Amino acid sequence: MTLALVLAALLAVVCVVAVAFPFIREPEPESDSLHDLNDDERRRLELLEERDRALAALKELEFDHRTGTISDEDYRALLGPLRRDAANALRALEPDRAGTPPDKPETREGRPTGGRT
Amino acid sequence: MAELGRAALLVTLGLAVYALVAGAAAAYLGRRRLALSAQNALTAASFSTLVASGVLLAALVRSDFSFSYVARTTSEALPLQYKISAFWGGQEGSLLFWLAILTACGALAVRLNRAWARDLIVWAVPVFAAVAVFFSFLVVVVASPFATQAAPLDGAGMTPSLQNPYMLAHPIFLYLGYVGLTVPFAFALGSLLSGRVDERWLVATRRWTLFAWAALGIGQLLGSHWAYVEVGWGGYFAWDPVENAALMPWLAATAFLHSVMIQEKRGMLRVWNILLVLLAFALALFGTFLTRSGILNSIHSFTQSSIGPWFLAFIALTVAVSLTLLFRRLPQLRSPTRLESPVSREAAFLYNNLLLLALCLTILWGVVYPILSEAVRGEAVVLGRAYYDFFLRIFGLPLLLLMGIGPLIAWRRASLQSLLTTFRWPTLVALVSGVVLLTLGAGSSIPGLIAYTFAAFVLTTIVLEFARGTRARMALGAGSWSGAFFSLLTRNRRRYGGYVVHASIVILAVGIAGSSAFDSVAEARLTRGDSMSIGDYTLVYQSLDERVASNATEIRATLGVSRGDRDLGTLEAGKNAYTVEAQLSNEVGIRSDLLTGEDLFVIAEQVDPDGTVYFRVFVKPLVNLIWIAGFVFVLGSLIALWPNAREQRRLIQRSSEIGLPATR
Amino acid sequence: MARQASPARLVIALSVAGLLAIFLLYTSIAGDANPSIAPSDLRNRTEKVQLAGVVLGPIRGDAHAAGLRFVLRDMGGDRRTGVPVRYSGSVPDLFKVGRQIVVVGRLRQGVFVAEPGSMITKCPSKYAPKQSGDPA
Repeated sequence: MTLALVLAALLAVVCVVAVAFPFIREPEPESDSLHDLNDDERRRLELLEERDRALAALKELEFDHRTGTISDEDYRALLGPLRRDAANALRALEPDRAGTPPDKPETREGRPTGGRT
Repeated sequence: MAELGRAALLVTLGLAVYALVAGAAAAYLGRRRLALSAQNALTAASFSTLVASGVLLAALVRSDFSFSYVARTTSEALPLQYKISAFWGGQEGSLLFWLAILTACGALAVRLNRAWARDLIVWAVPVFAAVAVFFSFLVVVVASPFATQAAPLDGAGMTPSLQNPYMLAHPIFLYLGYVGLTVPFAFALGSLLSGRVDERWLVATRRWTLFAWAALGIGQLLGSHWAYVEVGWGGYFAWDPVENAALMPWLAATAFLHSVMIQEKRGMLRVWNILLVLLAFALALFGTFLTRSGILNSIHSFTQSSIGPWFLAFIALTVAVSLTLLFRRLPQLRSPTRLESPVSREAAFLYNNLLLLALCLTILWGVVYPILSEAVRGEAVVLGRAYYDFFLRIFGLPLLLLMGIGPLIAWRRASLQSLLTTFRWPTLVALVSGVVLLTLGAGSSIPGLIAYTFAAFVLTTIVLEFARGTRARMALGAGSWSGAFFSLLTRNRRRYGGYVVHASIVILAVGIAGSSAFDSVAEARLTRGDSMSIGDYTLVYQSLDERVASNATEIRATLGVSRGDRDLGTLEAGKNAYTVEAQLSNEVGIRSDLLTGEDLFVIAEQVDPDGTVYFRVFVKPLVNLIWIAGFVFVLGSLIALWPNAREQRRLIQRSSEIGLPATR
Repeated sequence: MARQASPARLVIALSVAGLLAIFLLYTSIAGDANPSIAPSDLRNRTEKVQLAGVVLGPIRGDAHAAGLRFVLRDMGGDRRTGVPVRYSGSVPDLFKVGRQIVVVGRLRQGVFVAEPGSMITKCPSKYAPKQSGDPA
């Protein structure tokens, strides 16, 4: 009975310490804000996804053609658009590295950054 | 020690509430330390739930009947393994078990994805916490496993049919499946809440979904095998509401696993994927509700209880909140690409999705029909086996065929010309096997024949894919056939693991078609020395014995079995009379033919005092393929599930490229 | 699905139409739907129904000859709600006086004749303590 209560109290203390730990470890942090993606970074993430998607698709197409699952005719028809997608994504990413946002007409402006709903 | 259990659950509830409130506040206000603290609360909650589970397990093992749960579900004489299985057997224990898996999965999923999806996780934590609040509320307030009483001398014991090894594994897998579906749900909702609707939530949860889905599949197969071997009515699936309850989320998750690929490869179907995840999770909750509320007539009926309304309210809340969020994010979820052609791999996946969803929803309709008709007409109308069988054929057979077509069509668009060449061999094999089977007499069941033919088609495409892939790997410089085969598997585990799973589904379909469309049954009342025949088997009733075991009297009829001129030995079938529980149970005799996969299945339906026995005998062709399919299924799932270091590296690199700090 | 491409719309429209057609087909050819009612609601209804109730003894007869004979009463009702039932075919392990069962069949001359093999038993509860003196 008493042992159970002691153990329960111990458990509660351990849990409270675990919860409070981030505050104990950094009592006065330089910054306490979550790094939130801004529109620019978000756009880059999308481009990176597009790039990886196109490159993966190219690789798979190459292999499927090699195995014979995809005919020469289909291969030729699909190769062009995929290469174009990959190139577009890569090109759009380039100016970003210099720090300027890509000059795209569909850049959405003024989108809220958080999930403030 | 019940106080410790109760206290630990209270701590869990407190931590879950804290993780919900603090997690939401941290995400909303963008506070880093608070977010970390909420994550720690989730981990701590899994720890305190573990402590509570330990207390209950210890009480079960020690037969501490001052716990009313222990007294209700076990007895002193119960073997140790069934004392343990009572943990997830009763209602309160199973809710605690659910909570334990939920918090563990949540904490683990959050830890594992911290490196590259931190901004997403911040929002997933409060979702996990919300689900945990619900379940810990149930075990703290509504159905506590730690209620105490004056200890009786012995417990009430366990129903005999549950005292078998299947009950050690079958419920665990089902729960892992049900609860595992929370992970994709939490991340999907997290992505909606945060507005991070990029594909990372998919990548973060893909393996979890696959894991939950595989566990659910294995759990169901174990349940079927249990029904077949132990319950002894001659079947393995009865479209019972509780069986359907596990099948529905599995179908929804299957659809999701396929449509995910369209989003990953083509960026389409974003809304659809979120809807599927929501559906799978809601159906998993609904399944728990069905089994626990006793609202429907089912062979499996559990303790009817008061938690039903709570579940309904929670499901309604979940669906309402998710749909509202989804609606608000619709503009961001527009897909950048569109379907280019109705003849393409993504289109094949889309047809597959529609069929799976149609099957899932017709089953749901069948399950809720009695409730709906009661509400509308004042009289519950129950849809029978014929309803489900009909729709299984209508939707299942095209699905089977699509499994063979999908992998051979190119993404985006495929020309008809190239389709003709790719499908030449599979079609030829399918047609030939169809004709051969027809001449062998398989025409007695048209759906069965179609299933066989489609199965031949799909198997051919799978074998071809593996053969071509291996050959291409050889050409690319892999040394041996085995080396090429291995490198093929490791380079694209999802794809080739997926093919293995497809193969298992084909084997399953052949087993189901064989044993349900081409089975035969005979029954007869025999006195000693009499014989009966079924197919080319002859059975002679030789003797009747009565043995006294520790907890039951075993009555067994011995039958001599022969096939043609060949003597196949003897088979025993009978009944156990459990003395304490005052219950009878059928103990069936099964003779499996390892070469053909056929079972001879004998039930001693009725044993009369004068020694005559009424036998019911089935011959079930190919039924063993169903269990073999289970092993292939596990193998394929494991191949697809195996962690992929290269993918992880790419994801981390991607997030560091946009300047998202990888740690903290 | 906002702003779908036309082939996708076509696919969805076609599949909705297909679904509808299948439902019509189903209701016209199959139709294995039975009302589920309590014994006291049976009265003079003679169509095929699913009867759910509690077994009242005595149980007489042979399930594999002329049939078992027993009475089925309402769940939570008394003896007056009972209806005589005749059943043949396989009998589930759990069948006995006091059990909840479900049978499918129709009323013929005051006796509910169940279809062979249609009986399903409901365990009163899997892990619950023995019901204290279920009226039998």
